[in-house]
This record gives sequence, C-alpha cells and structure tokens, in this order.
Amino acid sequence: MLFNSLTFIVFFVVVVTVYWSIHSWTTRKNLLVVSSYIFYGAWNPPFAALLFSTTAMDFWLGRQIGKAPDRPRKRAWLIASVCMNLSMLGFFKYGNFLLQNFQWLLARIGIAYQPPHLDILLPVGISFYTFHSLSYTLDIYRGVLQPTRSLRDFILAVSFFPQLVAGPIVRAGDFLPQLVHPPRLKVGQFLWGLALMTLGLFEKIVLADMMLSGSADRVFSYAGPLIALDSWIGVIAFAGQIFFDFAGYSTCAIGAALCLGFHLKDNFRFPYAAIGFSDFWRRWHISLSTFLRDYLYIPLGGNQVRPLRAALNLVIVMFLGGLWHGAAWTFVVWGLLHGSYLVIERICRLLFEDKAWAGNFATRAFTGFGTYAAVCIAWVFFRSSDFTIASRMLGGMFGRHAQGDAILSTREILQVVLVTLGLIAAHCSLRDSNIEAAVTRLPRWIVAAAWALMACAIILTQGNGNAFIYFQF
Amino acid sequence: MPSSTSNFKDRLRLPRLFFRKPTEAESVHGGPPLEFERPIPQVPWRGLTVIVVLVVIAASMGWEFYCRSIGYAPTLNDNEDLWTLTRRKVKPESLVIIGDSRAWFDLDLDELQKGLGKRPVQLAAGGTCGFPMLADLANDENFHGTIICSIVPRLFFAPPGSPPMERGEKVVKRFRNQTLAQRASQYLAMPLEEHIAFLKQEELTLDDLLQRLPIPNRPGALVPPTLPPYFGTEDRERRARMIDQCARPGSELARRIQQIWLPLFTPPPLPTYIPKDVFIAEMNEATEARFRDITTAVSKLRARGGKIVFVRLPVVGELEALEDRIMPRNAIWEPLLKRSGVPGIYFQDFPELASFNCPEWSHLSAGDSVEFSKRLVPHLRTALGM
Repeated sequence: MLFNSLTFIVFFVVVVTVYWSIHSWTTRKNLLVVSSYIFYGAWNPPFAALLFSTTAMDFWLGRQIGKAPDRPRKRAWLIASVCMNLSMLGFFKYGNFLLQNFQWLLARIGIAYQPPHLDILLPVGISFYTFHSLSYTLDIYRGVLQPTRSLRDFILAVSFFPQLVAGPIVRAGDFLPQLVHPPRLKVGQFLWGLALMTLGLFEKIVLADMMLSGSADRVFSYAGPLIALDSWIGVIAFAGQIFFDFAGYSTCAIGAALCLGFHLKDNFRFPYAAIGFSDFWRRWHISLSTFLRDYLYIPLGGNQVRPLRAALNLVIVMFLGGLWHGAAWTFVVWGLLHGSYLVIERICRLLFEDKAWAGNFATRAFTGFGTYAAVCIAWVFFRSSDFTIASRMLGGMFGRHAQGDAILSTREILQVVLVTLGLIAAHCSLRDSNIEAAVTRLPRWIVAAAWALMACAIILTQGNGNAFIYFQF
Repeated sequence: MPSSTSNFKDRLRLPRLFFRKPTEAESVHGGPPLEFERPIPQVPWRGLTVIVVLVVIAASMGWEFYCRSIGYAPTLNDNEDLWTLTRRKVKPESLVIIGDSRAWFDLDLDELQKGLGKRPVQLAAGGTCGFPMLADLANDENFHGTIICSIVPRLFFAPPGSPPMERGEKVVKRFRNQTLAQRASQYLAMPLEEHIAFLKQEELTLDDLLQRLPIPNRPGALVPPTLPPYFGTEDRERRARMIDQCARPGSELARRIQQIWLPLFTPPPLPTYIPKDVFIAEMNEATEARFRDITTAVSKLRARGGKIVFVRLPVVGELEALEDRIMPRNAIWEPLLKRSGVPGIYFQDFPELASFNCPEWSHLSAGDSVEFSKRLVPHLRTALGM
C-alpha cells in the first residue's frame, strides 16, 4: 500500500479511528500488528509470511543470545541471526546478481557457464525490515538491550506499518520501549502528525513526481549524447527527486507514527546544506548511516586505528552501503565514490583544519557547493542502470558532447532550477535548526497558508500512485 | 471425557502464548526508557487545522465550479487500473476490442452487442500500440474468443521503447502485477471521478497547467509534441464518447486538436547519434519483427479456436493524407493481412463506412459512432464468418 494512494487514506482513517477508540493497550497493539500485516500483504500476501518468519526467528535468536551464559555462545547465536537475515536478503536481492558475476568470472578463466535465471520477485522493503529485525539481535549482543518476552511487541517493532517498507530504519531498542505504556492522544501531536504527512506527500507527489521526475527520466533514458546543460539539469533533477521522494516517505512515516502516538527519529536533516561529506552522511538517510556506523564501522575499529586502516574501514562501509541499495555494480561505484570522498575529506582535514581560512564563510560556502556538486556526480552512478549510461552522462556534464542534443523544454529547465534553488535555500536556512522550531517561529498565517497550499497542490496534482524510489531497495 | 469445547481451548493455547498479555516484568524491554520524543511546534493546532480545512474545501469547490464553467464534466480517468479492471472481465469466449483511440471512440458497444450477439469488452486505449494487448490475449491459454483489432499503422507498428508501445506494455504489465491495494484504489477513485470534474489526470493536473504556460523552447530542442486536450468522456465499461464542444463542426476545440495531431503523427527527426542508414535498417528490422510477432500471436490464438479481424477506422483531412504518406496502405495494411492471414476491413473500401466525418480528423462523434458501428456490423459478421 502506498502512502500516496486512496487505499492508504481509507486504511489510515479506519486504523486511527479504531486505534484511538479502543481503551485496552493490548488490543490496540494487536490492531497495529494486524493493520501492519494488511498494509504489507496488500502488495503480495505471501511475502507477509516471509516477514513473519524472519521476525519470529530473530525473536527466538534474541532470546538465545540473552540466555547464553558466555560471550562465545552469544556470538554463535548472533552469527546465526546475521547469517539468517543476510542469506534471506542475499537470496531475494542478490541471487541473480551473484550468479551473473559468477558466470563472468568463469568466462574470464575460459569456462562457459550459463546460469539459470532465477525468477525471484523482490519482497518490497526487505532491506529495511531485515535491518529493523537485525538491530534487535545486534543490540542484545552488544548488551544495550534485553530480549523482549513478547513476540507480539517484537512483531510490531519490526512491522509497524509507517516505517515498514522504506524506513526510517527504526531500531528495536528505539521502538520497543514505546510499547510499554500506552500513549495518550494529544491533539497537538496528532495534528502535527497530519501536517507532517501533508508535507511528506507534497514532497513526493508535487516536487519529486511532478516537478522533477520527468526531466530526470528523460535525460537518463535518452539514448544519445546530450549537451552539458541538459545533462546537468537531469542530474540535478534526480538529486532533488531522490531527496523529495525518500525524505517525503520518511516524513510521512514520522507523521503517521505521531498520529498513533509513536516517535520516530529524523531520517534527513537538510542534507544539501552539508559542508563536507561526513556532514552529508550525518544528514542523509541518518538511520542507515548510523546503523552502518554502529554495527559495522565501529566494530571494524572505526577511527581508533591507524589512519590507513581507518580509511579502509570507511571505504568498506560505503562499499557495503552502496551494495545495500541494489544488486548492481553502479550502486557499488556510488558507494565507493562516497567512500573516497570521505577519505579525501579526512586528508583535507588533517592538512588544512588548523588554517585560519578553513572556517571562514567563503571556504564554507565553497566546500558546501563542492559537496553538493560531488554528491550530484555520485548520483549519476546511482541513477544509471549501467555504466554506458553513466559514462554518457558524465561525458555530457563535462562538455564532451558539445554537439549533443538538447531534449528538455525551457519549462522543464525552469522547473528544475527553481525547485533546486528553493530546496538548497531551505536547507541552508534550516541547516542548524529543525522544522519544528521553524514552524513555531513563523507567523501563524504563514503556517496555515503553507499547509493549505501544500494540500491544494496535492489535490491539484492528482498523483497517480507512483511507487517511492526506495521501495525497490 | 473432555468436551469438544475444552479441546478447542487447548488448541488455542499455542497462539495465545504468542499473543498473551505480557506481565509488567516482561513488558520492560530492557534498556533505558525512551528518552527521545519528537518536539511538537507550539502553535494553536485546532484553530489552524480548522482554517486549513476550510481553505482547502473552499479552494477545491472554487476550482470545481471553474472547471465546470469552462466545459469540463466529471468522467473516469483512462488509466492502467481501469484497463485492468476491464481486462478481468474477459471470459474465454469474449468479444474483445483492442487497439488505439479510434476503436475506443468509434465503436459503440450497444450496437456491436445487438449485431454480434455479445457485449464487447473495450480494451482499446488512447495513443496506445495494440500489439501488447494482442500478445497478451494470444498468450492467455484460457482465451479463445474474438478480437476486433484497430490498426493505426503509426501506433500498431510503433517500435519498442516508443511511447505508444510503452503505454501498451504498461497496461498489460499492470494487469499481470496489479496489487490488491491498486485494485482497491481504483474502486475508491471511480465514484470520485464520476462526480468531480477536476479529477482529470491528463488534463487538469498541476503538471498539465504548467505545460500550458507559453514559454518558448530553445531552437533545435527535441521536445516531445503536445498531447491533445480533453475531448472525450469514459464510463466504467471504458466506452469513450466525444464531448459536444469537440463534436460541433468547425468548433474551436476540434480545430485546435487537428493542429496537435499533425506534429504528433509526424515521425520525429532522425537521431543524430546513429548513422542514418543504421537507424533506418534498425527501424525496418523492428517493423519486420512486428510482422513476425503478429503472425505468431495470431497463430497461437487461432490454434485455440480464437478469431480476429483487423479494422482500419475512419480518419479524414490532412491527418489522413499524412498517415497515407508516412505509412502507405501497400506498405503496412496489405502485407499485414497477407502475412497474418487475418481478414481486414478498411473503411475506405466501403462507401457506407467512408462517408463519416471526424470533427478533429481522427475520431467519430458519439452520435456518429453509433451509426458507424451499426454499418460496420455486417462487415464484421462476414469477416468473422458469423
């Protein structure tokens, strides 16, 4: 079920109404479990069974880790959990990719092997709920969480419908404590939840799908060389599209959870105002970057090791972060590019951090602009379905196709430029603040006008139920 | 002896273990209590929400009144979910119409039902290549009914990757993969679309309104041609009818649409990134492949006892001349009938079918479509051996 669909509106109204009219907390939680499975099963009912089995296994493994008397046995149970989750992810998401690469490797040594094409349907949101579930056993092993005794609560923690299929990746340790005491219905919180849902839908339907996706799609699907202007506009459009699409989903999820009395952390914090790449990753898909930091980067030694090893750790983490997004080498290159950016930034810090000019406005502005440009260049690999397209796009962006084609209308170019300028201006002005503070600060009439305008634009755009980009991950 | 009730309770014990109410001790999920709580902006939310709701209702009503005042009426959107809903109505022996918007506008379901004894299922769709629909029905092992397939050469022979082909593939793909949620959304959307005039996905959306801004393009920019404005309504059976504003002879709307068809049907300039002869060879190969695929699909259908007839529906004016020039009858229509062995009805061959005028050159008015279908029936009966 998509947030931007009529089915979801009806579903949400029914769930919220019944939820707040029930007194018993246990019944309410049962309602949320059933609703979440309906929400998920509306895509493909059999995959709900897969979701349940992963959850039940991790519940049991979590208890085994908790009960195990010593570290080696705890580790053995944890390895079982990690293997179970990653093999599930590996089979559904990377099965064909691994086979294709295996075939390629064999071909290099002269063995002709034709692998069977596995007709595997990717369960929607598997990368997200696998990580929701995995965070539970990892945190029990790390000693920051005790295993829960209630399977129902754990099922709800993994499958809570607002964050189930496209994040934020909510850790069990952040969610389970919210299931101890029933939340009270607070009007302000509920209505702010609705306002956030409106903002999220506006970002998705109006800005991502209507204003930007057309230009990005046309540029990336064009079979010929493009001139620099069209190439850059296409990439910038995608940079905006993916932000509004994914941040829109996260905002909807946070808003829907608030309407039900739950608190989810921010997943985005104005990333296009980042100054440097470590700053970018503290602001972009925060739930994934902190997941990778806590469960991968720090266990690898983090930055408490020799500089060369720390750099290698960064590259390994970003490599896996890239692969998490999809079974294609283009995602790997995207991850490796970001890994390289982070390493270069670290070197620059070592060399220039103490310089007087390092913190002045011009340097910060230049670094911010450079960060945005480098992030856009990395998006080329993220969006391109193969390296031919990526190389053609980069060729266009850096002036290799002076005689290339121009395919965007002036209106499309203006749309992309205006939305991008607005996006960057908003991010820069809110970079050290948050949206709640901004709403509190603004005159009431502006808040009301903005909310009404967003709602009217959503109605006027009449979204046609395009799936969110991150569903495919 | 245990009663059947106690047995039943015993059986329920396992699930109850999973869903029992946890004790207070069990409920404490370790770790510290949640420290994180989202801040809530301190504004008077109730009053603000009331104002927002009133403004949105007023703006929506104002927009609705305006849209009606300039001639828009409520109608269903022709999208892939409505198509899928209709496709599900196809029974093994159904009479099915596939193809482009000419079959969609020009064929009256009531008249065809009267003349052919079965109510047709309307699967033709605007600006769409009908081949994916033909292949879909040919691959449907249960289907052995009758197909009336409209042929507009420029659309039916659209190469892979072109917009008409993608539209055809999209509807078939949705039919195969439609989720329960998408189906439910379509059922929820239909009553709204039938009562609210501004709910038109291809006409009154914000995107469409922005496209109407008179902003000139760069010289040489390869911008896709404009699509025609709203000129028809559609019901739950997917029967399309031309609106009166367009059907009136010489109306401003009809003249506007005429000038949109010409660039839309004109082949785009040859791509600059492929040598001309290579591109032409690729296009010829694509056409040849389409001939082969059609023949294969027809054979599959006939092997199960299915029937098919190709129909070339009326087109007039400069558009007819353009179509004849870019894809002449002897290059597409004649070889199509010959190679597939399918009977065909070409409107120009029969004076009673060729005497209709299409107000915007490409489709019949709702009134004419009834008479045209009545006159078409005997030809269909002959072609299908009925």
